[in-house]
Amino acid sequence: MDMNLKIHRFVEGKKWVQDYKLTVKTGMTVLEALTEVKEKQDPTLSFTCSCRSSICGACAVRVNGNAELSCEVLVETLMKRYKTDTLVIEPLGNFKVIRDLVVDWDPKYATIKKIKPVIEPKKEFSLETGCKQSPEEFNKFKKYAKCILCGSCVSECNKSALNQEDFLSPFVFVKAERLVADSRNRSPQEQLKAIVEAGLWRCFNCQECTAKCPKGLDPAGAIEKLKESTFAHKLDDNVGARHAKAIYDDISDSGTLDESKLNIKSEGLIMAALRAPMAVRLMRTGKMNPMNGHPVNPEIETIRKIVKNAEAASKEAE
Amino acid sequence: MSFLHVKLGLKVEKETVSLTSNEEEYYMSNGISRRTFLMGAAAAGVAIAAGTYFSWNGKNIPEEVKKGDVTYDVLVIGSGGAGMRAALAAAENKGLKVAVMTKLQPTRSASTMAQGGMNGVTKVTDKEDSVESHMFDTIKGGDYLCDQDAVEYFAENAGKNIYEMDYMGFPYNRQKDGCFHQRKMGGHAHARASYFEDRAGHAMVHTLFEQCLNHGIDFISECIMLEISMNGDNLNGVIAMDMRSGNILGIPAKTIIIATGGYGRAYWVRTSNPYSSTGDGIVAGMNVGIPFKDPEMVQFHPTGLSANGVLLSESSRAEGAILVNKNGERFMAKYAPEKKELATRDIVARAIATEIEEGRGIGEGIRAGVYMDFRPIPPERIRERLGQVWELSKRFAGVDITKEPVPISPTCHYSMGGLEMADFHTGASRVKGIYVAGECSCVSVHGANRLGANSLSEVLVFGHTAGDGAAAFAKSNNYAGSQDKLAEDCSRWKDTFEEVTNRRRTVGKTVPEIRDAMVNTMWFKAGVFRDEQHLTEASKELEALEKEYSHCYVGDNSHVFNTAFYQYIELGNLLQISHAIVQGALARKESRGGHSRRDYPKRDDKNFLKHTLIFKDKKTGKYRAEYKDVVITKYQPKERKY
Repeated sequence: MDMNLKIHRFVEGKKWVQDYKLTVKTGMTVLEALTEVKEKQDPTLSFTCSCRSSICGACAVRVNGNAELSCEVLVETLMKRYKTDTLVIEPLGNFKVIRDLVVDWDPKYATIKKIKPVIEPKKEFSLETGCKQSPEEFNKFKKYAKCILCGSCVSECNKSALNQEDFLSPFVFVKAERLVADSRNRSPQEQLKAIVEAGLWRCFNCQECTAKCPKGLDPAGAIEKLKESTFAHKLDDNVGARHAKAIYDDISDSGTLDESKLNIKSEGLIMAALRAPMAVRLMRTGKMNPMNGHPVNPEIETIRKIVKNAEAASKEAE
Repeated sequence: MSFLHVKLGLKVEKETVSLTSNEEEYYMSNGISRRTFLMGAAAAGVAIAAGTYFSWNGKNIPEEVKKGDVTYDVLVIGSGGAGMRAALAAAENKGLKVAVMTKLQPTRSASTMAQGGMNGVTKVTDKEDSVESHMFDTIKGGDYLCDQDAVEYFAENAGKNIYEMDYMGFPYNRQKDGCFHQRKMGGHAHARASYFEDRAGHAMVHTLFEQCLNHGIDFISECIMLEISMNGDNLNGVIAMDMRSGNILGIPAKTIIIATGGYGRAYWVRTSNPYSSTGDGIVAGMNVGIPFKDPEMVQFHPTGLSANGVLLSESSRAEGAILVNKNGERFMAKYAPEKKELATRDIVARAIATEIEEGRGIGEGIRAGVYMDFRPIPPERIRERLGQVWELSKRFAGVDITKEPVPISPTCHYSMGGLEMADFHTGASRVKGIYVAGECSCVSVHGANRLGANSLSEVLVFGHTAGDGAAAFAKSNNYAGSQDKLAEDCSRWKDTFEEVTNRRRTVGKTVPEIRDAMVNTMWFKAGVFRDEQHLTEASKELEALEKEYSHCYVGDNSHVFNTAFYQYIELGNLLQISHAIVQGALARKESRGGHSRRDYPKRDDKNFLKHTLIFKDKKTGKYRAEYKDVVITKYQPKERKY
């Protein structure tokens, strides 16, 4: 079976898409296909890889628009998934490209530093005698200790595509949750503060990171958990948290969102006033009418029950 | 105290800053002519390497390194477990300048792939455990080629390092009393391996990396070491290429710690090691006079996938998978009548190699193997306990092991040999200022065969030790190197780069062609089985390959992330490593641990209870073997039986 690779090339300022033809072999991964091109057809094609067993995180690329660990995913699988004999290979999204499929990790490492990426062990623990932790406490964060720093989660992150300056890459939130939920940590207060400042509430909730993580770590879930922790640690005096609380209050009280007050509750009167032109536009199109009383959903009792059950379920999950 | 790219680094920097605003231009960096020649000395009046400098786009290198404004007290080469542990230890000494250099990014190392755990006597799970027991198991496992004083130091310190990692945040699997849990690995009498699921190495590397980030340790990433620069007996520093810009860096350092990992890639596809295990540090160390100790000691794991060498866990056989040859015969009974498939790694690896050699294997050449058949195991148990094995077989060999057998063959797993560590209390090599740690070193703790979960603990113990040792040296010594010589060496490498990368297609074989020929030589003539005739042939073939290497075709002359040149450097290193393996194997006329001579099938303590030291002559480039006695303290050699 033959296949075509369309590889996005970028060398010293020149950009182009280059076509290569290959014969598909059993068990041929995307990385093996790239390697074959480099060794047999074009030594100038550049990419990075190391372990070829999906643990080192060096080889993630974008194939037909989606991030993949190239050492892990089979060419055949992708050809079937996309019903095509042509695979388009690009560097990961939301990274600066250095050359071909090689991307720049430095800005990402710099953002890890923002969250103080270590635990500060409780006073009773020491370097000489280690720490204590129950298996249950260990279970709370172990999933998030499995991030391999491959960058797949950030590749299609919509928030990162808009602006990375005021946000952390999804994997940094995974690391953060791993530290915040670790019972050995004296207090996650400092970390949570840093995380809120670094953009916790700016996540779009689009779930692309969770869909792309090759290790199934659910970065979007980690972000939600971190948000919950900010409430538990009284770090809820910010727009995001107030917005979430306002929505919660509206839904519990009336079963509908009161758009005219939501903004004021979230951002405060002055900031909200600056958004007056938007309010005027909303009123004009009939999407918001401050003169009318806020309607109550006729199914309010059912809605309250749902909220109650959801709260009970999340407590149980803990 | 500046030097080298001094002022020109600054100049270049200024010109590039304005470009970064636009992403397109950021890449293009047109502000700098590709051939800006800057000759002569800088304003500072120190010698400058004549040559071409290119725009520094990345933050992969600290600014002061680019400017030549720093002399490191401790420069660690390699960012695996040993390297980062060493850096953390050295950085505890406030005021010392410490950096970790890596040819990749910090978490892409072989340590990350380690699965089982790290050994250390803590008695948290098994009260009966003792330092003596760990020591004895290690020595017996190493077929008595271990230096027993070093093993004692190792066993005494391994436990401490496990507690330290706990305090640093390693996500240990826990037991009910809140302590980390320890499990028993093959060849050990007690449960002493602490772990995180089946990804202990990954957890270790990431924990250390986070600590390094938090301590603000400098990383010099994506820089491949080309050479250690010496001025007579004094260390100048390290010559490296920045992958991003193609600039050749001369980084002055009072001490360096070589922690570059093993050399499994000498067997290329027949290894479970990452692409990066090319013995770079060992070669650089040999070239400045450090001997390569016991290079012939390579551990072969019996069950790698024939397709690509990826490991299928030992638990496959433990759960009941059997080995079958081309004729459907379960052959292990011939080699180990009682234990059959459950015999030790070396015995099973040799049995498989024999079957293949005698024509009862499947497939051909480097990918020949035998079948591993999982069908005696109920499918639900395969799904429950061998999930990863199922997945790897399915993915790489296209085989559903619940329905069909999968082709496997031995795969190079670990390098016991390495740069001689002259003093295990400090990690020092025999060359002043150069320290060694981890798989690239030979302490010798593992002797002729390493036991499971001893490698991660070695990395921690001796990484820590070497970090302390190098820091102590740096504190009590001034920089004695010559920056002129460092600049000279830089300049030479610049010329090499230009010459090598601009060769025409017609000059000779390609890098992958020579590498594949090397692998055929190494696998069939210096692999699981060795003998005089094949090793002599191998030596000649390698010499011929080195000649071809000297005029091989690289095929890429770009200065930006030139992975073709990078692979050219790695191949050069692998060829030298292969030579040393063959010389060591020729010299050791006995069979011990991972080294198996058909013509000398027995262990010979009378003549070979000693280490091989392979030196490379600086002038002639010839290899020479010397011997060094094994240190025996508590345990007299006995026949090794399991």
